[in-house]
Amino acid sequence: MKEKTIHSPSDEELNVYIRTRYQLLGVDISVLPDSDPDAPMDQERLLENGRSILRQEVVAADFDIDPQFNLPVPHPAPFVAWTEEVEK
Amino acid sequence: MRPPQDTVISRRWFLERMAWITTAAAGAEALVPRPVMGAERTSSYLREIPISINTRQQVGELTELTISETVDFLRRGVVSPEDLVRAHVDRIDRYDQFYRAYAGRPSLDALLASASSGTDGSYQPLKGVCLAPKDNFYTTDMLTEGGSLVFEGFQPHYDATAVASIRSAGGLIIGKAQMGNLAGGRAQVYGTTIPTTRNAWTPNDVNYSPAGSSSGTGTAVAARMAVAGLGTQTGGSVVGPGNAQGLTCIKPTFGRISLHGVIPLSYTRDHVGPMARNVMDAAILLQVLAHPDPNDPRTKGLPPAPNYVGSAAPTLGLNAPVRWPTRVGVFPGWSDPGDEGVARMRADFLRDLESMGNVQLVGEITLPEQWEELTSQPLGGSHGDPTAFFIEPLRRDVRLFGDRLPRFLNGMLQSADTYVKVQQARMLLLHRIQTQLFNQCDVVLTEGSGAFDGTGMPVLCMPIGFDTDPGSGMSVPRGVNLAAPPFGEERLFAVAAAWQARTDYHTVRPEDPVG
Repeated sequence: MKEKTIHSPSDEELNVYIRTRYQLLGVDISVLPDSDPDAPMDQERLLENGRSILRQEVVAADFDIDPQFNLPVPHPAPFVAWTEEVEK
Repeated sequence: MRPPQDTVISRRWFLERMAWITTAAAGAEALVPRPVMGAERTSSYLREIPISINTRQQVGELTELTISETVDFLRRGVVSPEDLVRAHVDRIDRYDQFYRAYAGRPSLDALLASASSGTDGSYQPLKGVCLAPKDNFYTTDMLTEGGSLVFEGFQPHYDATAVASIRSAGGLIIGKAQMGNLAGGRAQVYGTTIPTTRNAWTPNDVNYSPAGSSSGTGTAVAARMAVAGLGTQTGGSVVGPGNAQGLTCIKPTFGRISLHGVIPLSYTRDHVGPMARNVMDAAILLQVLAHPDPNDPRTKGLPPAPNYVGSAAPTLGLNAPVRWPTRVGVFPGWSDPGDEGVARMRADFLRDLESMGNVQLVGEITLPEQWEELTSQPLGGSHGDPTAFFIEPLRRDVRLFGDRLPRFLNGMLQSADTYVKVQQARMLLLHRIQTQLFNQCDVVLTEGSGAFDGTGMPVLCMPIGFDTDPGSGMSVPRGVNLAAPPFGEERLFAVAAAWQARTDYHTVRPEDPVG
């Protein structure tokens, strides 16, 4: 089988993705200055952070965890806490 | 002797409990708080606050008193709650223009009315004690702005459960303390990066940080503008300012103190933490605050709060040993922090610890498997957590978030795959800390608190000496963080009590501002 080469997204591509994602959810980052180190926040820093978060997704995806390490849910603790069916 | 609580808790039970919290965070609707209080319960252990630890012959300056000293002098009728209020208000009026520790304060008349109000006959262990909660605790009589433009002008219509518990115990909220923007960093002018609150040890130098995000509470307590206070910690925000200002603070086991009525940052990592001038005061506050709250399911189903006050009392006898035999471990590299002065201080601390009865130093611990992966980003973090409950202000205007904006947008970029992995990794880390770290020791000295914040384990900080800040040339305190397994608060208090019984770093107060 021919080996596939997967293109790693560039900064510019990730920026487009980040802006689109925010826009989709109704968040407008265009009100921030493009680049102003004296401002509390600017688009340049925000996008840099966003790219870093996205690239960390790869680290998480690569983390190999035992699929049998399930989150155990004790019975009946959560339901007791919410419904107060049983009060200690 | 009764064993400390950390030795009688099932590790499996705590792991399962934290898994439930993690699961609940995904369906957070069930955790939406309801504006009903239920904080009448005060532990009987508070009747046992040992007045014998009050070594003051005379009252002296009222703002110097700790909680236990205040309790003693009030019981003896030497001071009144009204005297205490006036003394603290006077001091705040005189010095907060320098410290800038407070975001808001009630009127003197309102405080005096609360101080002189009668009770229904129930014991009020904090009667007249002036306390400073961080400005992310809801208060009906003061705004709650979270150090941020996002909450500017926000007036809650109910008290946070922790605040209600304090009031119910007779405590007075002397003011709301400034804090880092939405519980991150040091306190700043809202929406800017201009610092406000100063470190109590360098009141004339704004550059030396009070640390954050519970900056104002730390400064108010260290500067004697409050007897003690309440901070919150998601990632070091109680022990950071505590260490920076020479305080003794406890970030308890997850769920021990209700988070109802606290502006959230992360449903699975937020903690309320008492900040005080000594270990007894931290224990008294925890005793008041540690109870189940019908409005916060995370507080329910826990073992009953043990006798924290008793564990924080120094033992009797020669060399005042730690109350229980305790193995103390050290994180790799902790003894060599890269600063000669701090390294020397830590070496002295270890030597003194070793000389205390019932302490066995076990040296550097071996870290659990995959420690780096499980404690660093992204698996060891909480990137996505704050976004969910801040959608509305994010849509309104991202500028409201100032320099903290990235933290609040991250959840929009994190995949479900990563979120599940982060929660699984947290459970794995919790399991390994319990089985591969705390099998080597009962208490561990650690540089940071992140791994213990994420897994909900208790951390205590306390001062161990003073160092000269190269920037200001002023003497500033240095502290240590001690972490323990779930419900190990008693153990931490016992170690701190033995240490503070033989040292006086916790009794040294910073000088007043000049000007």
